[in-house]
Amino acid sequence: MSVAELLALDLDGLPLAVDLGNLTDLNFLIGIAGVLAGVYAIFALGLQLNVGFTGIVNFGQAGFMAVGAYSMGLLVVKAGFSFWLAMPVAILIAIAFGLLVGLPSLRLRADYFAIATIAAAEIVRLFANNARELTGGNQGLSCAEDDPTLCYDNTWLDIEDAGLDFAEGLGWSDPVSLFPLFVAVWVTVIVLTAILYYVQRSPWGRVLRAVREDEDAARALGKNAFAYKLQSLAISAALAAIAGFFLALNVNNISPREFEPLFTFFGYGVLVLGGLANYWGVALGSIIFFFLIEGTRNIDLGFTDEQQAALRFMVVGLVLILLMAFRPQGIFGKREEMVLGE
Amino acid sequence: MASEARPAPAATERADAGSNGHGGPILDVENVTKRFGGIQAVDGATFEVAEGSITALIGPNGAGKTTLFNVLTGFYPGDRGSVRLQGRQIFRQPPHRIARLGMVRTFQITKALAAMPVIDNMMLAAPNQPGEKLRNVVLRPVATRRREREAREQAIELLEMFDLTRLADSYAGTLSGGQRKLLELARALMTEPRLLMLDEPMAGINPTLGARLLEFMQRLRAERGVTFLFVEHDMEVVMGHSDRVIVMAEGRVIASGPPGEVRRDQRVIDAYLGGSAPPSEAGSSP
Repeated sequence: MSVAELLALDLDGLPLAVDLGNLTDLNFLIGIAGVLAGVYAIFALGLQLNVGFTGIVNFGQAGFMAVGAYSMGLLVVKAGFSFWLAMPVAILIAIAFGLLVGLPSLRLRADYFAIATIAAAEIVRLFANNARELTGGNQGLSCAEDDPTLCYDNTWLDIEDAGLDFAEGLGWSDPVSLFPLFVAVWVTVIVLTAILYYVQRSPWGRVLRAVREDEDAARALGKNAFAYKLQSLAISAALAAIAGFFLALNVNNISPREFEPLFTFFGYGVLVLGGLANYWGVALGSIIFFFLIEGTRNIDLGFTDEQQAALRFMVVGLVLILLMAFRPQGIFGKREEMVLGE
Repeated sequence: MASEARPAPAATERADAGSNGHGGPILDVENVTKRFGGIQAVDGATFEVAEGSITALIGPNGAGKTTLFNVLTGFYPGDRGSVRLQGRQIFRQPPHRIARLGMVRTFQITKALAAMPVIDNMMLAAPNQPGEKLRNVVLRPVATRRREREAREQAIELLEMFDLTRLADSYAGTLSGGQRKLLELARALMTEPRLLMLDEPMAGINPTLGARLLEFMQRLRAERGVTFLFVEHDMEVVMGHSDRVIVMAEGRVIASGPPGEVRRDQRVIDAYLGGSAPPSEAGSSP
């Protein structure tokens, strides 16, 4: 069923040369673009905290997401943890990894720190790809080898069934299978955004901004800039881990392919669209970004698959170029802050 | 003069430091050295800053004033030496800890936090804000809000003093160079410092504002008991406005004393005119 049918609109009557039918399909809106946009909104909230509010350029977010997702999966499948215990423990592991990366590298100049984080993230991904005994290598991780019924997403699948039954009970005859995940992701996005927004307005958040503006000035006023940068990175790693859980639940299989550096830069695309130093812009930026990326896959323009695949990134690139030309601060960003911040 | 202070045992000094206004040095610098590769930027600097004084640190370009400043305030780790603030050893301590002990610096090139409003620049500097710890944002919201109110009042009072009130909500980056100098001084005062260290406060501003800055220093000393140590390379500027002058050349302190005395000192004249090491040292032929 599509939105068009729900709203009783007759799209066929519109004078469109291309078929937009897939774009209005609920499976696409909720299942593909909706869930992905939510996952990357959480992912990019961490980047916003680092880049937008602390001024540290973290290029390793995909690595922190991998640590979170793999830790959760392995704790359930290999260590017999419950899904609910595995998640907080995995968050702690991601935080510990963030501190491990940050302690030696946050004293470096900004650009060297960026290089150190991308290296750390690649180490995680390549390790996951090669440690087949532990992670399943490029086959991915989903269930225990000796017990194919023990999978990391068992608990979630039960919740999902309950959610779908509930939706049917409300009169939705054929609910989209990813609808429960969509709800869980977006509730999490909203809660986390609200928390970060509140915390950023505190004196703690003010020190972060001061560190972003001028670390030496902050230190001269008695602020331990290094400790704040470390906290920022650790919280960002925790957010990446949470994004990693949802990503793992979305694909039913944790594989190194999901954690390529490209995804970190998708996160930066989201930031640029939404605007720096604004948490609410992250969700909107993510929705636009993933509707462009996934939507261009679905519009039928009569091209071959290869042409279509190339077109997706051209469209995203074009949108970003237009944004830079006409609204360089992003949708929610403040122009003054961008100009004055140098 | 310095030899009178030296025999005092450390314990007495510390006791003195505890009670303000003992007249002893607020800052006691001994034999501080700092080398960058082959360059001995600071070469055994020794001097004192008396509590409640306005002391100028002068010297020709390249004398090591700013490097010494950075070592004293913790921004560069010194190689050797001793720096005591109110009797407490602070040599090689991190900058934020030194600042919290009451020795607060400004920078030669102003560091306004450009993309933050002026009022936030000020409130940031308020000490003892529990809400600067993340856990207290959640656990102590009431104490945080109370401290914010106090800090805002103090900030507004200081902004009034420096004639910046109407700019309170403007981004600091929109201020003129002179206004930024004043903001940086006001912001440093928010930390409730005992000793303010100003690195070339007169650099790059017009003489009228320079004179105002010097007046502010006099007034703050009288009203708040703040001690000042400021760097300046133009000797004429400091003559009428400082109680003591410390002169550096080639990494060493070559003279210190009241301005009139220092000005007549042959070593100082040589250092300024000849640009070479003082005559008492070897290897200084022009």
